[in-house]
Amino acid sequence: MRLAPTLPSAVRTLKTSEAAALLNVSPNTLRAWERRFGYPHPQRSPGKHRLYTHGEVAALRDALQEGLSISSAVSRAREALSADTNVLVGALHSFELERADGAMEAALALRSVERSVQEVLLPSLRELGARHGYDSAPWAFAAHWANEWLQRAQRLAPAPTRPASVLIGDATRDDLDPDSLDVRALELFCARAGARVLPLPVRGVTGLSEVLGAFAPHTVVIAGSYVSDDDVARWAYGVRSAAGPLPIALFRRGARDDRVRTTGARILSDSPGDAHREVMGMIEARQSRPATPAATSAGTDLGTEADDATPELRRRSVGM
Amino acid sequence: MSTHLRLVPAVAEPQPQRTFCGHCGAEPETDLYGRVCESCGLGVLLTANADAAPRPGEPFMIVDGSLCVCALSQVAEELLGVEETEAVNRHLSEFLVPADAEAAGADNLMDLVINAAGAGSETRVAVVRPPDEFGVRFRAQVGACGPPRAALLVLSDGWG
Repeated sequence: MRLAPTLPSAVRTLKTSEAAALLNVSPNTLRAWERRFGYPHPQRSPGKHRLYTHGEVAALRDALQEGLSISSAVSRAREALSADTNVLVGALHSFELERADGAMEAALALRSVERSVQEVLLPSLRELGARHGYDSAPWAFAAHWANEWLQRAQRLAPAPTRPASVLIGDATRDDLDPDSLDVRALELFCARAGARVLPLPVRGVTGLSEVLGAFAPHTVVIAGSYVSDDDVARWAYGVRSAAGPLPIALFRRGARDDRVRTTGARILSDSPGDAHREVMGMIEARQSRPATPAATSAGTDLGTEADDATPELRRRSVGM
Repeated sequence: MSTHLRLVPAVAEPQPQRTFCGHCGAEPETDLYGRVCESCGLGVLLTANADAAPRPGEPFMIVDGSLCVCALSQVAEELLGVEETEAVNRHLSEFLVPADAEAAGADNLMDLVINAAGAGSETRVAVVRPPDEFGVRFRAQVGACGPPRAALLVLSDGWG
């Protein structure tokens, strides 16, 4: 029986001074490398300080011993880190689920959950999809494993810590839709950022008001490109009727300008990592905005600004 | 008696060595240096025979035994119009080719580089040019540097 994969609660990270000490360089040098080589690539702490992944810094330290330049050492360190992708592709290609779980655990030893998903899981699955076709049995096998992995990771995410709730209107076909994994990744990243996340299929309108009455979303993301615009519009109307005007964003729905013109929706980046930051930014911007009737909308709300000024909605926006 | 005789390497006079940064070419200011240049922070410190090492301001590049570019100095980036990050891991012939059509055998640029990156200790000279450019020629002084061992090509205008 396959063991459930473990997700470390936190990847070992280093502050700039610690990373610089490990590499025997100054903090300024480390920042200069980030600008010139894009490596090591730090995350940011809640206080916006750089946080380097220990694995990335250690890989560079080892590569520097054998490198003839910083560029070649960076290239070698990147290769060492990308080995996890090859392992995962190989494991799923040969239908070895335990080895696939092991590859993700190895990736998590060097990276955060977000980066493991973005740099190892999603590229590996894309490679398998391109190799076998998105209607093939190997793709179905790999996609099923990846969906399950992402759902387990989401169950292990910390409880919501911030007053932010994201309603995701799932417009993908099913779990085998090529966009489905990116949508699951976006859900995971938003949940790990401390938000409450509720994914609902956009084809289900019945009972929407009851669900949204309890969930009280701060923003809506329509994700996936399979479901038609008409169906999405019907669902969006149902959401607006139930929850009032809300900022709306499109994720992996195609960058058609007419959608933006007619709905005022914001198009998110295709990368779930960038997209989740944009979603959280939208919520923060809305919450920090003075709630006056005269305030002008940036044109991204699903409704009018007059509606937005209702006391009930204002209470929902700040009350979570 | 003959069983006690064996070949031994000739004892060579140790050559004076010089340490320099693979990016800015500067010498480290102290003897206690790490792997990375403290002056610019963008290059690895390397050592070469003093006669092969670049002088300040000279463009140079470092190539491994498989003829892949491993480093490009700041001045060489300007001279060849390519950044080191773009040049690394690409073949030397994408940036420099022999300009002397008559050169052959050990005088050939690629042979000189492979030899320098391998066991060769002698500093040799070749005439080179950027590919697709016939009006520009450089004198390339080819020596060894490291660690790890690689060929060091110091470029200059004169080829007399």
